[in-house]
Amino acid sequence: MSNSTTSRGGGTQTVSPPREGPRTASGPTGRAPRPEWRRRLTRLDVRLSPYLYISPFFLLFLVIGMFPLAYTAWVSVHDWSLIGGKGEFVGLDNFREVLDNPYFTKQLVNTISIFLISSVPQIVIAVVLAALLDNQLRGRTLWRMSILLPFVVSPVAVAIIFGSLYGDRYGLINELLGHVGIDPIGWHTNRFASHVAVATMVNWRWTGYNALIFLAAMQAVPRELYESAAIDGAGRVRQFISMTLPMIRPTMIFVVITSTIGGLQIFAEPRLFDETNARNGGSDRQFGTITMLIYDFGWQLRDLGRASATAWLLFVVICAFGIANFLLIRRIGSLGGDR
Amino acid sequence: MQTSRTRRFRLASSALLALTLATTAAACGGGDDDSSGSSADGVTTISVATFNEFGYEGLIDEWNESHDDIKLEQVKVGTWDDAKANLYTKLAAGSGLSDIEAIEGDAMPAILAEEGAFEDLTNDELDGRWLPWVEEKALNGDGQMIGYPTDIGPEGICYRSDLFKKAGLPTDREEVAELMGTWDDYFALGEDFVEKVPDTAWYDSSGGLAQAMLNQVANPFETDDNTVAVENDELQAVWADVTGNIEKGLSTKLPQWSDDWTASFQNDGFATMACPGWMLGVVEGNAEGVKGWDIANVFPGGGGNWGGSFLTVPSQGDNIEEAKEVAAWLTAPEQQVTAFADKGTFPSQVEALESDQVTAATNTFFNDAPTGEILAERAQAVTVQPYKGPKYSDILQAFQAAILRVDDGSQDAAESWDQFVTDVEALG
Amino acid sequence: MTRRPGFLVYGLLTAFVVGSAAPLYWSFLLGSHTKEIAAQGVPPLLPGGHFWSNAERAVATIPFWKAISNSLLVSTVTACSVVFFCTLAGYAFAKLRFRGRGPLLVFVIATMAVPTQLGVVPLFILMSEFGWTGSITSVIIPWLVTAFGVFFMRQYLVDAVPDELIEAARMDGCSQIRIFWHVAAPAARPAAAILWLFTFMQVWTDFFWPLIALPHDNPTVQVALNQLQSGFFKDYSLVLAGTTLATIPLLVLFVLAGRQLVSGIMQGAVKG
Repeated sequence: MSNSTTSRGGGTQTVSPPREGPRTASGPTGRAPRPEWRRRLTRLDVRLSPYLYISPFFLLFLVIGMFPLAYTAWVSVHDWSLIGGKGEFVGLDNFREVLDNPYFTKQLVNTISIFLISSVPQIVIAVVLAALLDNQLRGRTLWRMSILLPFVVSPVAVAIIFGSLYGDRYGLINELLGHVGIDPIGWHTNRFASHVAVATMVNWRWTGYNALIFLAAMQAVPRELYESAAIDGAGRVRQFISMTLPMIRPTMIFVVITSTIGGLQIFAEPRLFDETNARNGGSDRQFGTITMLIYDFGWQLRDLGRASATAWLLFVVICAFGIANFLLIRRIGSLGGDR
Repeated sequence: MQTSRTRRFRLASSALLALTLATTAAACGGGDDDSSGSSADGVTTISVATFNEFGYEGLIDEWNESHDDIKLEQVKVGTWDDAKANLYTKLAAGSGLSDIEAIEGDAMPAILAEEGAFEDLTNDELDGRWLPWVEEKALNGDGQMIGYPTDIGPEGICYRSDLFKKAGLPTDREEVAELMGTWDDYFALGEDFVEKVPDTAWYDSSGGLAQAMLNQVANPFETDDNTVAVENDELQAVWADVTGNIEKGLSTKLPQWSDDWTASFQNDGFATMACPGWMLGVVEGNAEGVKGWDIANVFPGGGGNWGGSFLTVPSQGDNIEEAKEVAAWLTAPEQQVTAFADKGTFPSQVEALESDQVTAATNTFFNDAPTGEILAERAQAVTVQPYKGPKYSDILQAFQAAILRVDDGSQDAAESWDQFVTDVEALG
Repeated sequence: MTRRPGFLVYGLLTAFVVGSAAPLYWSFLLGSHTKEIAAQGVPPLLPGGHFWSNAERAVATIPFWKAISNSLLVSTVTACSVVFFCTLAGYAFAKLRFRGRGPLLVFVIATMAVPTQLGVVPLFILMSEFGWTGSITSVIIPWLVTAFGVFFMRQYLVDAVPDELIEAARMDGCSQIRIFWHVAAPAARPAAAILWLFTFMQVWTDFFWPLIALPHDNPTVQVALNQLQSGFFKDYSLVLAGTTLATIPLLVLFVLAGRQLVSGIMQGAVKG
């Protein structure tokens, strides 16, 4: 690392130049005092650079990300038809109508159910998978990249394949179950079965994704720690639980929060799974999620006001779950390790 | 360190790459062409947005060869679903639509309700071009013609002559036609059939039957002044028939277009179905290898129509007059016959129905039936067209969902009907 | 880890990989038969001979190569942009102190909780205002930065860049940007590689917004492939041959990126 200060010779430095951040244990010795303007420059550098670093992001974000959000909020308090446009200000009427809608509660329960059935196994499997990949494997690239393959399969193919698997009458799975003497399961008609089916579609697509995220974090753990633990007699599983998991806590938090947010917004998979014309999640909306309700309000009933209100209600739900999960993970994390 | 320098280099170069690519993209990413007609050196480009298969490829080439001042280009989307999402978004945004937008028949009522979004295409010269019941569907509340009809879907009854034989029923299409003149006849024949061939249903889906019956009811969901009135006698009669048949085993109880429904073609799932012209290709594809399909020149209740689209001209475009001209040309009898020859879209124009190409058309898969003639006669036999107000498609969806609930056994007919009524109220 | 992984590890991994790859193989199979067989849903186990002829038809029916090149451009630019801006911002959130750091981060994360489907209308209005509708700029701009990216890099950098190293650099008199360049950026590399790959894939598979924002003759790959689905009887052999063909660039990318990830991960550990 290059050092730009020139030593002026003589004089011991007894006081470190004032700066933000933790005081260093040992001040620089044998160096000449830094010139005043340089000190100020450094201070400015330290103080301003965070804002400089985040400003490109925020500038773009404000335009691209915030405008749609503000627009949606604005729309949600008006009577707003998709084609007709802005109507009158109606305050919280849209919200009330949405909450009174016969399907809102049902689809909310569906959303939460599908979220739990998909995210919990998904995260567990992703962590295990990452641990498996965190090894000196032969053909590492191949293993690591092939778990991402589900992501690139086109939605058309996904619909066809999972439709053939989960057909209530002629599907493959029910056929196989029939061979072992189990009655056919109503994958599209039975509420819980449909959640399981949709959850498998979601998990199939996203587990590899999350596994790679965990893998990156795991690979940043110094190998020496494992070696010394092995010397101390800890087995692989013990190492994993007591060392790896606590050390990847920030990533764990990340995955839990993003899975919560994503899991409560599930839209594409149940829509693909629904083979009726309306695609609302089955004949009785048994697997319809809230995001599908948003789409229904917005693009089928052409009522943007109610659609936006639903979006913000979902936002509240997601925030609640997000905070709850964050606290949960923090509590669990602090039980395991010392971070 | 060597490695940090390479890393530094790599990061710097990727940032530089991003910047260069971004500027290049901005500079030559197609400029700012918008989809609706741009005029460059006197040539106006009219964009025609379609979905599925309208059979316009050949027509557009034909026009472009013979015209120098107006050029056409087709903007094609795979399904109506996506076209609809695109259409509605751009209507909401107020810009971005093509000069001519094709609209699916079932969505027309909602479009007709939107004042000022689409041009009035009324043109006295085109009087009598289309079948009267089709033209009616394009008129809005003020009597303006908002769309030009393109194709229609007159229905005949497709049936499996081999399964009919098994049940001891006549197989010749003319004989079959005599047995199905009314819905009661059709159902009675069905009950006969399922007795003799127990593992096969009579028709492909309750939803399909419901659709066919609804298309013959004058005011299924709304009264002529757009008041929602679903608890009317006719609708309840349809409901009673459809749900009653489920118990009698006449229906496959599968949702139309589902994977199971497609598979049922290969599994002797059913013996008859209501077939509009565009369905023939679907049956042929799904039932590949199955012998015995035929089509009878009959439809219970006289005539039925399922489907059909319209060409509209959005008011936000820049080249309204040219677009109207093109739309009128595309929907002329001669052009529609060409489209029919190409992609099988059945004409809605009176002259076209009488043309040789249509009347002489046959279909090998369906036992060489004279499908052109059959469908033309069925089209002429249509009398009642259901009144479709702005909420028509939404209520129809709720109705179909209600039928499915009885199909899959999650509710009985009475419960499902009650829920249907509640759903309609919640549409708001 | 000096212990070689045993059969159990390989066995479990194989099972998982087979499950992940089977649908892709399935879609290839459907694309290699005639359309009637493809419509049945479950194809025979071996490919039919029609893949290339179906693929050829697909390429002839839609602006395939234009779409691929558009998608490559869009995905590359957005991936680079996201990595660049989000690493910077992520580093700031992870290691630099400034007022409002916590609330700002929470705010950014919270914005992910609003579903994006409705955003297309205001976004389209925005793009029209700037006159970008119709050009691929309109599909690039919305993806230049993501909240996901910032959150991801921040979480990774919090642990991956040791505070001591930053302090030492500061002691040596490095300016902030130097610290970033020499300390943080190298450590961020594995996560950056993953973020790059993920952003690339997500932009590549995005359908709804490009459908609305781009004109018919200048599509991205998903929109172009959708045009194959016209017709009442869907020709799935055509559609799936087209979509399978369109995944080949991604598979190539996987191989290249995979190597980056592995080597990057090994070099990225700057631990003392």
